[in-house]
Amino acid sequence: MIEIQDLVYQYEKNSPDYIFDKLSFKLEKGSFTTLVGPIGSGKSTLIKILLGLIKVDSYIKIDDLVLCSNNMKQIRMEIGVVFENPEDVFVAETVMDEIAFALENQNKSKKEIWRKVDEIADCVGIKSLLECDPHTLSEGEKILVSLASALVADPQILILDEALSMLDEISKRKILGILKECNEKGVTILNITHDLNESLYGKDIVLLQSGKVLLQGRKEEILKQESKLKRAGLELPFLADLSIRLMYYGVLDHMILDMDEMVNAIWK
Amino acid sequence: MEIKYDSVYYSKKENTPLEKLILEDVNLEVKEGKINGIIGKCGSGKTTFLELMNALLLPTLGSIQIGDYLMEKNCKIKNVNNLRVELGYVFGNPKRQFFLPTVKEEIAFGMKQFSYKLDKIDSRISDALKMVGLDDSYLERDPMKLSNGEMRKVAIASVLAFNPNVLIFDEPTLGLDSISEKSFLKMLKLLKNKYHKTIIIVTHDVNMIHKIADYLFVFHEGKKVLEGTKYEVFESELLEQYEVVRPTIMEFSYQVLKRKGIKLGYRDDVNDLIKDIYRHVS
Repeated sequence: MIEIQDLVYQYEKNSPDYIFDKLSFKLEKGSFTTLVGPIGSGKSTLIKILLGLIKVDSYIKIDDLVLCSNNMKQIRMEIGVVFENPEDVFVAETVMDEIAFALENQNKSKKEIWRKVDEIADCVGIKSLLECDPHTLSEGEKILVSLASALVADPQILILDEALSMLDEISKRKILGILKECNEKGVTILNITHDLNESLYGKDIVLLQSGKVLLQGRKEEILKQESKLKRAGLELPFLADLSIRLMYYGVLDHMILDMDEMVNAIWK
Repeated sequence: MEIKYDSVYYSKKENTPLEKLILEDVNLEVKEGKINGIIGKCGSGKTTFLELMNALLLPTLGSIQIGDYLMEKNCKIKNVNNLRVELGYVFGNPKRQFFLPTVKEEIAFGMKQFSYKLDKIDSRISDALKMVGLDDSYLERDPMKLSNGEMRKVAIASVLAFNPNVLIFDEPTLGLDSISEKSFLKMLKLLKNKYHKTIIIVTHDVNMIHKIADYLFVFHEGKKVLEGTKYEVFESELLEQYEVVRPTIMEFSYQVLKRKGIKLGYRDDVNDLIKDIYRHVS
């Protein structure tokens, strides 16, 4: 669970420009939320605040812990993050060591570490890469390694910061599929992106604009708000766009976001 | 300018135990004055294909003809810089390219390296900015403080200042929101129609490329496996095998044909598609 109440933040003190001016929202435990917003809406700043990399005075609660310096260590153990440029955070010379890194810092036994690394590599589908140097991998593989490194520490919450934007469609779908599985096992997922197509794999959407929550709710409801999303520079996913138009012409009576379901609903 | 690949092979780390074949028997001719899309999943050889074009790499086997330049194994290319001026290469991430305080200096930098005359530089900068749809008010601005879309335009202007015949883009729309993407695609059309540039775009974003490309080449595991108009390519049954997805709008028509036997036609515009659907439903 992530709860933010009246978050106020500005880059420079006493400046009239606020990045966040009383931002509030709550993501339930076990939710899968896609946070979208135009460039400059404060998405990346928000992550830094959640990880305690930027200090704020506002009330933020992560699961049962209030965000403050005393709880920071524990909070960071609960959150796994995958960034857009994973190679900036790679520290080891092999994929295996890279994934193990987080566990080595938790005083786990060697045997347990390798069992866990093996299990995660299998789940993410990178077992064949374990001996490779992470810097030599393709962009998609780097993201998978970064995802495995985040998942190996069993986080309660997984945050992705534009992590999929560099990937081709097939790698993207594969990773979104893995995220969906993690979510089904109870991990809370927050995917930050400017591509609304990624929201189709999640459950909820939050639209952030100029530091405020403009829309929040189930994806089927939010994707109906065509004009607000377009004004934020976001393109509707094709199936949402098609649904809205077919609803207008009376061919459909509700939004359908699955290709099979759409074809079967039009030609019963 | 002719760009033709004739049975091109390229191996990385040749004659070592780590030798790896990256491109295999590539035969193709880029369409002049058109927008050429090169698609394929990560690791299919797209970027190596571009590096060969720019003579950053030379083929292990076969040859590449670019205008008057012929590139073969171990050949010495005279005036390779002129070749690189003819082929304007726009890098994917402009943030990693900028290092000067103003847009004007940034665009001028390349030309200064080639000892262009100073008065010539100023007019070329203005012309180049105009071609990408920016006016002179941008000249004194800090390139790092522009929006992503504007940054890309400045990066393109710094290449256009050399007046290249061919413009090459590697993943040009990564990280752009849909408004900036639309404006970028509009600019590409202008460069093609008004300035008659040949444009080559390497991308994995099929939803973008189908809106703009006149002709497509599909790469898979180092081979060019398909080519044709977007309709020919995206209608192909072989795409799954080559791990390329269709643009969602075309995937829809493909699925309708496969599951229901109804031929909707391949549309790029959702309004046209709606008319087709309506006709078949009512």
